[in-house]
Amino acid sequence: MSDSGPEREPSGRGAEMVWSIIGTLVAGVLAWGGIGWLLDRWLGTRFLVAVGVLVGMAGAFYLIIKRYGAS
Amino acid sequence: MSAPTLPLAREGFHAPSIEEFEWPTIVDIHVFGIDLSINRVVLQMFLVVLLVWGLFFFGFRKPKLVPFGLQNVMESVVDFVRNQIALEVIGRDGLRFVPYLTTLFCFVFLANVGGITPPVFFPLTGRMALPAIMAICSLLLFISVGISQQGFGTYFRNTLFPPGMPWPIYILLTPIELISTFIVRPVTLAIRLLANMIAGHLILSVFFVASGYMLTSMNISTVFGVGALIFSVALIAFELFVAGLQAYVFTILSAVYIAGAMEPEH
Repeated sequence: MSDSGPEREPSGRGAEMVWSIIGTLVAGVLAWGGIGWLLDRWLGTRFLVAVGVLVGMAGAFYLIIKRYGAS
Repeated sequence: MSAPTLPLAREGFHAPSIEEFEWPTIVDIHVFGIDLSINRVVLQMFLVVLLVWGLFFFGFRKPKLVPFGLQNVMESVVDFVRNQIALEVIGRDGLRFVPYLTTLFCFVFLANVGGITPPVFFPLTGRMALPAIMAICSLLLFISVGISQQGFGTYFRNTLFPPGMPWPIYILLTPIELISTFIVRPVTLAIRLLANMIAGHLILSVFFVASGYMLTSMNISTVFGVGALIFSVALIAFELFVAGLQAYVFTILSAVYIAGAMEPEH
């Protein structure tokens, strides 16, 4: 039986990693783009949504590199 | 006929569109203003629920030591989910999620397979309601697993504030983690399944409608119609593959999310 090892390193992490990276990127853009959009509406400006998207992407990249870059 | 008859100008060819997924109401039920009407999709859903129940009930009603027939098939399904998904992704602690994951796998698979089953030919998961509800179930499950395994505060702290980072960066990262864990995960889970089934169903519809149209057009298109028909049959096999694959992906990602909630990130 393949499951007889006591504490096997759980695999299936490859697919998880791919989806997690895509999810993090989308979430970064959504979260900070959303914050930028709300600030735009509040302050009456128009550029903060773009700034937010860029900030979110940067944050998502930072998170991905921190989490998966080392391994 | 005086006008030249162009093949595509012939009346009667309607390319299938997203309207393929809309069905008229059969029984109209409204409870407190909530539409609980029954249409073909709902009937099919009842049927699939009954089918999943029946497969397990009759498969394991009189279990024999040496499995035979339906018991054999159902044991392979349970074994597959147990070994390839629960043990593989979550580990030993994953065994108690085998019932949920097996039911999820069977239900999604049979709902998908409806798309290529005569005389139904409709994938249940091509309507948003089912993928959405199942994704919400998985979301609630992994949140409650996280809370029960790590405690309320610890789970949300570990999720929203990934450890091992300088604190100012949390201002940047916490909104991202909030959205990615609790919104993007279930939404992508649902949309991945929905979009695959809609696309597959539309491709099949277009191919079969077009094959029928070309075969009956009685000109050079008839020759191509034969090719299209052969290709349509191949597409059915492909759709069967997609049905299994998407059920597997949905189940394994649910398991991955559960596994992620069980242990704090390192």
